[in-house]
Amino acid sequence: MTNLLKTSTVLRWMLAALGVVVVLSVVQELARPTTIDLISSGTAESTLRRAVPILLAGLGGIWAERAGVVNIGLEGMMVLGTWFGAWGALEFGPWWGLAIGIAGGAAGGLLHAVATVTFGVDHIVSGVAVNILAPALARFLSGEVFSGRSGGGITQSPRVESVGSLDLPFLSGGDLLGWGTPNLFGWTASQDWLLVSDVAAVLSGITRSLSWASLLALSLIPLSIFILWRTPYGLRIRASGEHPVGADSLGVSVYRMKFTAVVISGGLAGFGGAFIAIEQTGVYREGQVQGRGFIGLATVIFGNWQPAGAFLGSLLFGFADALQLRDRTAVHALLLLVGIVLIGLAVRAGVNNKRSSAAMLLITSAVVLWWYAVTEEVASELPPITPHLATLLVLIFATSRLRMPAANGLRYRRGQE
Amino acid sequence: MAPDSTTPPVVQLSGITKRFPGVVANDRVDLQVANGEIHAVVGENGAGKSTLMKILYGMIPADEGQMLVGGAEVRFSSPSEAIDSGIGMVHQHFMLADHLTVLENVILGAEPTKRGIIDRTAARRDLEDLGRSYGLDLDPEDFVESLEVGERQRVEIIKVLYRGAKVLILDEPTSVLVPQEVEKLFHNLRELKSRGHTIIFIDHKLDEVLAIADTITVLRHGRTVATVSSSDVTTAELAELMVGSELPKPSTEPRVPDPHVTLSVRSATVLGDDERPLVDAVDLDVYRGEILGVAGVEGNGQGELVEAILGLRALSEGELFLDGEQITHWPVRRRREAGLGYVPEDRHRRGLLLDAPLWENAMLGHQTQRPFARGAWLNRSGAREATAQIVADFDVRTPGVDTKARALSGGNQQKLVIGRELSAQPRMLIAAHPTRGIDVGAQAAVWDELRKARRNGMAVLLISADLEELIGLADRLVVMLRGRVTAEMDPSTATPRLLGSHMTGASADEQGTKE
Repeated sequence: MTNLLKTSTVLRWMLAALGVVVVLSVVQELARPTTIDLISSGTAESTLRRAVPILLAGLGGIWAERAGVVNIGLEGMMVLGTWFGAWGALEFGPWWGLAIGIAGGAAGGLLHAVATVTFGVDHIVSGVAVNILAPALARFLSGEVFSGRSGGGITQSPRVESVGSLDLPFLSGGDLLGWGTPNLFGWTASQDWLLVSDVAAVLSGITRSLSWASLLALSLIPLSIFILWRTPYGLRIRASGEHPVGADSLGVSVYRMKFTAVVISGGLAGFGGAFIAIEQTGVYREGQVQGRGFIGLATVIFGNWQPAGAFLGSLLFGFADALQLRDRTAVHALLLLVGIVLIGLAVRAGVNNKRSSAAMLLITSAVVLWWYAVTEEVASELPPITPHLATLLVLIFATSRLRMPAANGLRYRRGQE
Repeated sequence: MAPDSTTPPVVQLSGITKRFPGVVANDRVDLQVANGEIHAVVGENGAGKSTLMKILYGMIPADEGQMLVGGAEVRFSSPSEAIDSGIGMVHQHFMLADHLTVLENVILGAEPTKRGIIDRTAARRDLEDLGRSYGLDLDPEDFVESLEVGERQRVEIIKVLYRGAKVLILDEPTSVLVPQEVEKLFHNLRELKSRGHTIIFIDHKLDEVLAIADTITVLRHGRTVATVSSSDVTTAELAELMVGSELPKPSTEPRVPDPHVTLSVRSATVLGDDERPLVDAVDLDVYRGEILGVAGVEGNGQGELVEAILGLRALSEGELFLDGEQITHWPVRRRREAGLGYVPEDRHRRGLLLDAPLWENAMLGHQTQRPFARGAWLNRSGAREATAQIVADFDVRTPGVDTKARALSGGNQQKLVIGRELSAQPRMLIAAHPTRGIDVGAQAAVWDELRKARRNGMAVLLISADLEELIGLADRLVVMLRGRVTAEMDPSTATPRLLGSHMTGASADEQGTKE
């Protein structure tokens, strides 16, 4: 069993996910009856929907940074994605909207690539420029294109359609060739069996009315892993981010690797933006990206520059975001969850003989649990910032063993060492 | 297999000229390398060896001249063209990505694929075949990060062989190795030669060159001085060809014993990020007017020890005393003001602000003291005068004190750093690799200054990878291995070989029986 665990990454992930569900169920039981939404199919569905744009920004960050270019312009590229996505969806339909949104983000990536790779501009300077330019461009274009239309204006577009969704056959009762299959997860979730029903509820949430765009985004995780770690192109990209001079000495065209990686990065961010406009809100609205590009960058760090890790980070943010939107009392129950997780971390630190950090964690845990016990509800300012707070906390705890690509963020000029 | 003189030379360079702004790096250089020989190119730092090799490997283009490889004229515009002609290069600074595996580093740029996917099985098989046939054992799945210096060099050689190179250029391959590893490298090179490879070997350690090379070409000031067969010359003759006169040697006069301890390090321990000791209970005493040499393979705690003494790193255990005063918890500035001088190992990163003028650089570390400061304010004119004094006293060749540090040659930059530290008349000087990467003339000047300071009663802690320098200059020697001081030696009886075996820990048993 332990051997199998060591060899099978998929199995390890599934077990970890199961552990999370168990902890959530336990907390849910403890927090009844005030909270019922900590673990439910609705929360699961919403978590996934909220996580997708972050995931796409995170993947974008990974592509760029693996090639050694810091892409702080992800935010701006997502803004371009929202505008062009909405415009494309309005003119040609939602699928075209996604494609045009991706192209819009990629154009932002192209700008960043020309500045950083071709002209050797500092990555942060160029990224900030993209972040300033993108919203201004979007506003200008809205004034030109959306102002005259009904529901449109200088800050928003008319409503757009989404790409539609599917229920997975057999698992969630989707149609297969016109035959309505049984709804396995839905039925199990309604049985009220301890744990099993909770697991089924979560699975049902993520397999029922699953957006085609979400499915596409999720498929980009294995695709990115495959390209970056299994193909010559991916190896060359990673080598360009680790040791560009060495890669160049072996005939790798470092400029081309970095250039294409940054454009792909922009395309992914653009997809994320288009997803927000077309799938989440059904409209382009100014400022609707709300820092998700930066959160995506945080998930890159949290995930140690690995796509699966960034996915995990995006789920965490998505979960906190879904909770604060659906149910404020759930945020209160979240305190209980944090307290329990902290105790777990303290135990681990204790086992590893790190007494001072174990003590710190225990004290923090006690404070959080006391807060939970003496209050009925958290202050109204807290729920909206829960997702950001969660990201911040996790980054604080996760940054010790991280390793970014060795030449990340460094200006590379051919022939200069 | 003896060098083959009947076939045309495998590499023939004639009239190669390369100019950089202000200098002629190669001035009509000729080089002829016969098939299947080991050909050494020797010369001092700055003689143009590396430039010539970079031209041959297509990294920089020549301004003038002709290159023939296997009898056909070539003109490389990138290394990949040189690789296609069967020329490969092992760089002095390894071109390896630490966080990729050995396999990934080797196949990069020439990946075997199967339907667009990297064919790892085939790559691993090829690597293991190469390793077996040349005696270069490596695990393809190891991360380069975890390899020792000698192993990394083997990765570089395999990288070159994997691309089918027949001619291997090795740029100062022994500079990073201890004597035992050098022998292993030479063994590998002879193996390569016996299989018909040609090796061009750059070095300036003459006994090594005579031990391995068949033919030797000497460069001086960018010109070819001579090409000789290694059986026809002695070390002394080669040295004369290289510098045009006798080589300066590090040496020092006997020391008058002085019982005063200037710096005392008591059971100093420094922990790394993973809580493992990088410096492990080190005890050292440096006496007044003494140079204490620290030998060790890089990364065995010398750097961390220096940082701890200077106050850049905290000691987790142990104490430091300067002239009997407890300085363990003093901040860096207070230590510097109390008379601690520091010549850092990496002058570009730690020693200088490359884009600042010399007078600002001369101020660093003394920015709170006269004549650089007046109260809370910097004293510009005072700083300029003091800098001019350093430039004059330490023979820093520069157009003026407003010149950017970057514009100076390595030797002159180092003289400025040494001048800055010594002109403040510290009681204790920590000199980490003070002559690394500078030319022979500057090297002799640095040695002179250290000797002069020692005569005046300064205590010096000298960390160096140049074993000749350590043996020649130091009054006492200690060896650091895995963070501990593992041996103490008298330089008058120490040899580089003996030091080398202590540095690698190879002599642990031997040493036990001897002492």
